[in-house]
Amino acid sequence: MTSQVADAWRRTPVVPAAAAPAATVPAAPDMTRGLQLVLAVLWLLDAVLQFQAVMFTPGFARTLGATAHGNPAVIAAPIAWSARLIEQHAVVADAGFAAIQLLIGLGIAWRPTIKVALGASIAWSLGVWWLGEGLGSLFNGTASPANGAPGAVILYGLLAVLLWPPRAGQRTSYAAAGRIGAQPARLLWLVLWGGLAGLALAPATAAPRALSTMIAGMSGAEPAWLARIDGQLARLLSHHGGTAAVALAILLGLIAVGIYLPEPARRPVLALAILAAAGLWLAEGLGGILTGAGTDPNTGPLLALLAIAYWTPSRPDREAASAGATGSGAAGVSRA
Amino acid sequence: MTGQPWLAATFAVVMIGTAGYCLTRLAVSWRGSRPTDRQVDGMHVLMGVTMAGMLVPQLRLLSAGRWEIIFAACAVLFMYRIARAAASRWRSHDVQHLLGCAAMLYMLVFLAPLAAPRTGSAAISMLGAAAPDSAVPLMLAVALLGCVVWTADRMSSIARVAQLTAGQSRVAAAPVPLSPRLSACCEIATGVTMGYMLITMLT
Repeated sequence: MTSQVADAWRRTPVVPAAAAPAATVPAAPDMTRGLQLVLAVLWLLDAVLQFQAVMFTPGFARTLGATAHGNPAVIAAPIAWSARLIEQHAVVADAGFAAIQLLIGLGIAWRPTIKVALGASIAWSLGVWWLGEGLGSLFNGTASPANGAPGAVILYGLLAVLLWPPRAGQRTSYAAAGRIGAQPARLLWLVLWGGLAGLALAPATAAPRALSTMIAGMSGAEPAWLARIDGQLARLLSHHGGTAAVALAILLGLIAVGIYLPEPARRPVLALAILAAAGLWLAEGLGGILTGAGTDPNTGPLLALLAIAYWTPSRPDREAASAGATGSGAAGVSRA
Repeated sequence: MTGQPWLAATFAVVMIGTAGYCLTRLAVSWRGSRPTDRQVDGMHVLMGVTMAGMLVPQLRLLSAGRWEIIFAACAVLFMYRIARAAASRWRSHDVQHLLGCAAMLYMLVFLAPLAAPRTGSAAISMLGAAAPDSAVPLMLAVALLGCVVWTADRMSSIARVAQLTAGQSRVAAAPVPLSPRLSACCEIATGVTMGYMLITMLT
């Protein structure tokens, strides 16, 4: 009896194949779907982080309001207005934010609602990028790859665009090109990583002690082991900040243009991007998620996820994905 | 660090509802002839009741130490199920429950001693101080949220009861199982609640 139900739970074999509607046949996982599920996990993580006690205090609204400083009035005024509104209704607003993120995460995970959830995540990301992150500090001169520029939340939106379910029968070499095509996907990569390279040369990063001050500032409430790592990194950079910023800009620039390399040479570039994302994440103090006051894991994991979305599976993997997509009726990543 | 009492109470209500529903499934399964995975439903009942007690101290049923023994036994049971099925095919479903048991044990060990009953405040308000390293609850939370997403992804491939009934009419008149989709919903509810509780442990 138990195993019969366990089977039903797993894949509905209780229903004879002839009796089962096509919709009940489980779709084989493909790379695009796998990445969508990782994105859903990140949204759910954001949702439960939003449930932390500190988010329900007026202090959270003041943090949002602080992103208005230094921005042009046209950008700053709506941020200040929304921060005031959130401060007045801190509990309701935060509960609403958490619920929205929870629904987006579950919506992406549940196949019938994936397009609605991805669409909602784009709209939500744009709104929060402006009103909650001050457009990633891009216009107030404090944006740096090491402090979360161009803003984690905009990367959620970008990933939603890149991981939008492909049309039936659409075949691409990597997940990010699934719906929008290879050229637009590469252009978005170039703009993102090229922009990060440019920011690495801006005074917020390239000033002599800017990087070390930024990283040291992250280690306040972190666990001891992470504070130690960030502390050592900050000390290391305190005398070579300018050189490190130039090196970082060169690395990010290579990653940006590397996406246009032919397939065999592109993989090391993507591997480098994943490593760079891991390094930036450490510099970001893992987004402050271990401090009890982080709202998201910041850009590190999202940049790594983005790099994986541009990864072309090896031939046997592609063939397996292709077979899975054909068998399930789902369009997925298959072959170039 | 303090949790929101109303939020803890809300999650406690969800957990009580989940436990109540799974208890009903067990009762229907025993009294009638509709099969269900009793071990999984039983697990949801235990988790629901325990988490409700951790969230709201007034709802605690057993004293400290007993729940640990129960969840350790559950973990052994699911390890046995995994080992038994390993030869035939991979059962991610059981791995998920094993992870749930591990998370429950972790929370019971590091939460329960500090979460002594206090009037008018949620037990969750005491979380955090006992945890040895905030990376552990975070990793457990991420793994559990991964399980939630995995379950939600497979929801659409799980048959509805109506489809199961239609299938039965074509074959022998075997009993129709209780809704596997609702069981998956219980899985999601417990996973999200556990994720919330673990994140609240972050210092």
